[in-house]
Amino acid sequence: MRVSEDLVSDVAEVLLSEEQIAAKVAELGKRISDDYAGRELTLVSVLKGSLPFMADLMRRITLPLRIDLMEVSSYGGTSTESSGLVRILKDLSAPIDGRDVLLVEDIIDTGLTLNYLIRYLKGKNPNSIKVCSLLDKPARRLVEIPLDYVGFEIPDAFVVGYGLDFGEVYRNLRFVGVLRPEAYES
Amino acid sequence: MDPREQTEHRPGATAEPDASRGARSGPAFAHASEAEFARILEFYQVAWEYEPHVFPILWDLDGNLLESFAPDFFLPELELFVELTTLQQRLVRKKNRKVRRLRELYPDLRIKLFYARDFRALMLKYGRSALVSELSGTLGQVMPHPDEDGSPDSEGRLEGLDRLGGPSGGADRGKSGLDGEQQPHYERRSRGARRRAVRRAAAAAAHTPATT
Repeated sequence: MRVSEDLVSDVAEVLLSEEQIAAKVAELGKRISDDYAGRELTLVSVLKGSLPFMADLMRRITLPLRIDLMEVSSYGGTSTESSGLVRILKDLSAPIDGRDVLLVEDIIDTGLTLNYLIRYLKGKNPNSIKVCSLLDKPARRLVEIPLDYVGFEIPDAFVVGYGLDFGEVYRNLRFVGVLRPEAYES
Repeated sequence: MDPREQTEHRPGATAEPDASRGARSGPAFAHASEAEFARILEFYQVAWEYEPHVFPILWDLDGNLLESFAPDFFLPELELFVELTTLQQRLVRKKNRKVRRLRELYPDLRIKLFYARDFRALMLKYGRSALVSELSGTLGQVMPHPDEDGSPDSEGRLEGLDRLGGPSGGADRGKSGLDGEQQPHYERRSRGARRRAVRRAAAAAAHTPATT
């Protein structure tokens, strides 16, 4: 993997500008504020990719709410070794039984991680679980899970920025962009 | 008679699932990408079955089965079939045609075609881009056995394999990582898988009257 000193130069195209993202986050925050009025809302951010989105979204929601963070291991198996099973690397820090949980994700593509997380969280007896994802890449979907709040439906391209990474890099870009193939083919 | 009336198939309900080939039992994969895909499903605790159903999709005027199709994976909890198409473009077209035919005959069945680009993106997402060349295309295929019948199996895999130059392999074989002692192991399992597929197709055909 070859990363340029100037991260922006590794981006072939800006898919979503900082301004577009900010406007959408504000819109989602308003909708969520309306929908969850009078309820016990807990936002659960799925680390690490959703961190910037979570930080911006929570400040656009006008209701009293709690936040929590979760992290699950990502697949990294090879053709020769067993990769085991998905694990919870960081669990919730407070109970969610009886609360209305909104899972905050950066992107949904296959839906495999989300499917696992929802099954896991249902075991903690929340009043409801819904999903808010900044990006939706339906072309890659394997597990059909209803997404209650979606920022943008994006084309089938490898995107980075605003929390999304490639090899743990590019998360700090302020926009969402399509990574140049040279950046991941080298 | 409308073939759909004769061959209506509910996912997971019929077509003799083979219990010995269920999740975590180490089925005989015909392609390295299928094994990798199975590992991903295992990792995320999604139940899967490998080629559990063979669907008749074409008959002659006398009702004899001409062609069948066995999607690579069935995910019972999701009621979804998944077909990986990481082979040559010519085979992709053939699979596209089979999937179209399958959807015509079994409209309630859900099937997802996973193209080479999808698989590549999945590997990229999981930081496994270096594996792509080993797992996709001809390099990821299992070698056919020289005494196999020459007819294409339900996936048309033999067609692609023949192009490698038979059991001794083509010029690209050395890159595959399947050379040497590993090959006989894959060959044996691949033949068994194909025989089971043929038996199931024949059984299905026996229960399928002529469609004209």
